[in-house]
Amino acid sequence: MSGNMAITEKELKVQKHTFKSGNEMAALAASQINFHVMGFYPITPSTEIAEYIDEMKVEGENTVHMIAGDGEHGAAGICYGASVAGARVFNATSANGYLYALEQMPVQSGTRMPMVLDLVTRAVSGPLDIRGDHSDLYFALNTGWIILYGNNPQQVYDLHPVAVRVGEHPDVRLPVIVGFDGFFTSHQKRRVQYFEDAQVLRDWVGPQPEGFPHALDPRHPKTFGPYMNDPDLINNKYQLHLAMQNVLKVLPDLFEDYSKLSGRKYDLIEEYMMEDAEVALFLLGSAYDTGKEAVDKLRARGIKAGVLCLHLIRPFPVERIQQALRNVKALVIGERSDSYGGNGGNMSHEIKAALKDDPANQTLIATRVYGLGGKDFYPDDADTFFNLALEMQSKGTVEVPFDYFGLTAATENQPVEVVAPLTKAEQTSPVKVELVGEELKVTVPPPRQMMGMPKRIVPGHGACPGCGIFGALDNFFRALSGDVVVLFHTGCAMVVTTGYPYSAHRVTYIHNLFQNGAATLSGVVDTFYEKKRRGEIEIGEDITFVMVTGDGGMDIGMGPSIGAALRNHKMIILEYDNEGYMNTGSQLSYSTPLGHKTATSNVGTLGKGKTFHHKDTPQIMAATHIPYVFTAVESNPQDVWKKAAKAQWYAQNVGLVYGKMLIACPLNWLSEERLGTKIVQAAVDCNFFPLYEIERGITKLTYDPEAKGKKVPVEEWLKMMGKTKHMMKPQFADVVAEFQKEVDRRFRRIKAMSEHPDL
Amino acid sequence: MAIDSTVVSTQLPIKDEYGFFNIRLESIGGFGANIAGKMLAEAGVLYQGFNGSNFSSYGSEKKGSPVKAFIRFAEPSTEIRISSPIEEPHIICIFHEALIRTEPVVSGLRKGGVVIVNTKKSPSEIQKELKVENATIGTFDAMTIAVETKSRVNMAFLGAMCRASGFLNADALKAMITDTFTKKYPATVPGNLQCFDRGAAEVVFETFVSPDTLETRTFKRPGPLFGYMNAVPGGVIVNPGNMAKKDLSASRQGFLPGFNRDTCIDCAQCDMVCPDFCFVWEKGVDKRGRPAMNLVGIDYQYCKGCLKCVEACPTDALQDLREADDYGKEHRTKHNYWR
Repeated sequence: MSGNMAITEKELKVQKHTFKSGNEMAALAASQINFHVMGFYPITPSTEIAEYIDEMKVEGENTVHMIAGDGEHGAAGICYGASVAGARVFNATSANGYLYALEQMPVQSGTRMPMVLDLVTRAVSGPLDIRGDHSDLYFALNTGWIILYGNNPQQVYDLHPVAVRVGEHPDVRLPVIVGFDGFFTSHQKRRVQYFEDAQVLRDWVGPQPEGFPHALDPRHPKTFGPYMNDPDLINNKYQLHLAMQNVLKVLPDLFEDYSKLSGRKYDLIEEYMMEDAEVALFLLGSAYDTGKEAVDKLRARGIKAGVLCLHLIRPFPVERIQQALRNVKALVIGERSDSYGGNGGNMSHEIKAALKDDPANQTLIATRVYGLGGKDFYPDDADTFFNLALEMQSKGTVEVPFDYFGLTAATENQPVEVVAPLTKAEQTSPVKVELVGEELKVTVPPPRQMMGMPKRIVPGHGACPGCGIFGALDNFFRALSGDVVVLFHTGCAMVVTTGYPYSAHRVTYIHNLFQNGAATLSGVVDTFYEKKRRGEIEIGEDITFVMVTGDGGMDIGMGPSIGAALRNHKMIILEYDNEGYMNTGSQLSYSTPLGHKTATSNVGTLGKGKTFHHKDTPQIMAATHIPYVFTAVESNPQDVWKKAAKAQWYAQNVGLVYGKMLIACPLNWLSEERLGTKIVQAAVDCNFFPLYEIERGITKLTYDPEAKGKKVPVEEWLKMMGKTKHMMKPQFADVVAEFQKEVDRRFRRIKAMSEHPDL
Repeated sequence: MAIDSTVVSTQLPIKDEYGFFNIRLESIGGFGANIAGKMLAEAGVLYQGFNGSNFSSYGSEKKGSPVKAFIRFAEPSTEIRISSPIEEPHIICIFHEALIRTEPVVSGLRKGGVVIVNTKKSPSEIQKELKVENATIGTFDAMTIAVETKSRVNMAFLGAMCRASGFLNADALKAMITDTFTKKYPATVPGNLQCFDRGAAEVVFETFVSPDTLETRTFKRPGPLFGYMNAVPGGVIVNPGNMAKKDLSASRQGFLPGFNRDTCIDCAQCDMVCPDFCFVWEKGVDKRGRPAMNLVGIDYQYCKGCLKCVEACPTDALQDLREADDYGKEHRTKHNYWR
């Protein structure tokens, strides 16, 4: 993208039309700015930004160092570290990812470390909703970050260079959020303009201002992040306040300067037909543009209507709001989030506070909470808001100052029992387990006998054709006798089995968050035993508690899982490993093997797929000395049943069990749906995924491909999947060799342990 | 490849009240409808000079789930200020015929609008199924065209839409196709262009006019099944397993497993790999008269056609079957362990 040819200044500013979404434009801007570091973690709807930057990177368009965090908290930590080290830093997140990282935000601002974070807004859980509203944005208001907001893909692009410069400005030195609507802006393609030569944007942003402390200057050591109580903290925060005030001075100049480059002029607020407006709407983000349609219709009827929004939310542009609304008779503020119990979302509070300080202002104001969870905002919704404003204007009063808009009161539906709850007797598995001396003996019947065991998940779930999750889960559950309570981490299995108001689970099911299922289930399990101890639950009652997670959930949830393991709660953690974040569209997880292609480990001129080896979660969990660890695959069901029965026995009698099942994801492995069983078997036969168990600390291989004469090289497995097709090319021979070496090393280790009586 | 936009008109033949020409694509994940929507919009905007927007139905949809793609076109000076879904399209494309049974695919179709369906049926046969009046229906066997040209149905649809629109330029679309695939998949370009041409050539249109029903088919915005007065607070679902009511048969892309009881040995290999729990077992006896579970059939309501079971089957009891109309319905063995 950057040319080496000498080009005149006039040509530098040439802009090209393209057709891109908000996420694409955010990534393009970040790529052109060429931040030093991006620490990130996938979450819908912001995930694509890191994907696009990585795609451009492997084609040589940027050199942004991409660091995939272990969760948003980790990603934010990476960003903070990089900022302290003096990097120009970028990140993108949404909703619960932002909330998980929230703790880091006031540290970033309070220690005055500029960076840019794209907040692609989305509803905050729970219940989990992946679509766009402003509930995450409203959590950002008190973090000490500058917040810029764009309404459409063009504005998203333009605000990025401005964000870098305002945050790094010597009079400011604050981190900056660039916010835009999840899906409505992030995923909608529009006609936009950009600088074809990345150097134009790079030059406008310029080098980082010098003279600010950083951690990579050993000749001038500094202490970052001291312990600071009163009387100092209030002064530190006042400095932050002053920096915010300075934004109001610096930003208009930057907008002016940028307009000379781009021809697009921004202001702290954006107004449409507000000069003489008597009725007005305040709408943040994409809804503002929709509001213009309603304004045009009213203007055609001779009604003085207008609409306004903010491009700067923090600091709040009080004076501009006062000016814009001074002569407005009736204003309806649409809020895409509520401040529950506060009689107004945060925008209402802030606008009303601003107007209260303007003695000349007489505006009547009503608030309507709309569009929560991504509920669409149609042009006729804007018409309805204006009708309310007109009614307020004509009556001279506001009858209902605060309300929700677009509700459904009641329907004729009632929850109908479709499937009868499972009885205990029905759930008696033909797989039998008994303790003989010190050894657990498991009796597994032929498959046909297992077919009478009812499924704890019903058909009707919305997984992709050929999904490996459900065969794995069902085979595991078939061997468990008695009542089961399950908890699912966020992921494909959770999403496709519980789309409200439907559930595919016949047994009690809990979902909390992506990362803390093990902690949550710990609380459930221990409540069961505590209530039993108190006699509040009958002695005969026995429940097996199973947490189901993907490999992503074991990345972000590693800490809580290790915590639960160390506490040794009587529960099972069952991981289905499809080698990536498949629910968000195939980004790398730490379990993705070396060289494999994902949306954040792209293959291209400069990209060779994932750059580090797959995580060995069973060995990590084994190091907590829990009583039972196992691995299993669908292609060996009897082995699954044996291990499941043992898992249940240990979870009921001793403590925590961890098991990992490798499962096929045809969609993101780019493999044939029908071949899933064979592909996971090939992963076993090439020793990539050894089948073994660790029972009370003693490792036992339960299947040795070599001994069975089934051993194959890793290529035999890799060639079955599109995501590893590139590895068959000669230029990837070194990657395959390194992968084979690591696979062999890990297998030899397991085998040696299996052969040793104490390991 | 570049198209001289000066020779291409940027006038729309018809527009809605906001100045848009609207197209909605009805498909399931995996047919390439989203890419088709993107390419169509890009061709109009970048190669023909229209303004436009394009997006898809949002959610955590998986492959096989219903998806919609939306394309708005406007004349160059008209701003696009609306981001809500298209409710009253001028053109609707149905990529997957089975959706006619399960989804309100023609909801909101404008009077005089066009519906294009990937089917072997004629426009009048489809008209009876869709029950649309005052509309033009185009049908073509996009699947066969795609298979024969080693392309995808979405390319055939681009050809058909180009013909139906009255303003999209075939050269612009072909330039778009060429540019899109040349970089990463150059070998696919000739097939894709051929598929496009055949789509345009082979789609058969017929117009149906009924003087009795002159109104646009009103679009019904999908609403929730429960309101705040009758939903259980906290989002708790109190009727577990109710997902069994879902019909997933439209997820299949033309194939399903055929079951031959005569050669089945009840080995259960199929059941152990089926992601969708389609195999129906009953208590019975084995060959020697001892109590045993017997496989009695497949509940095709849930079968997504992955064919893992066929791979697992050690006999020829399960085989690939090209799905004929209503095969799944007629050969379905219903699961019997719930009400």
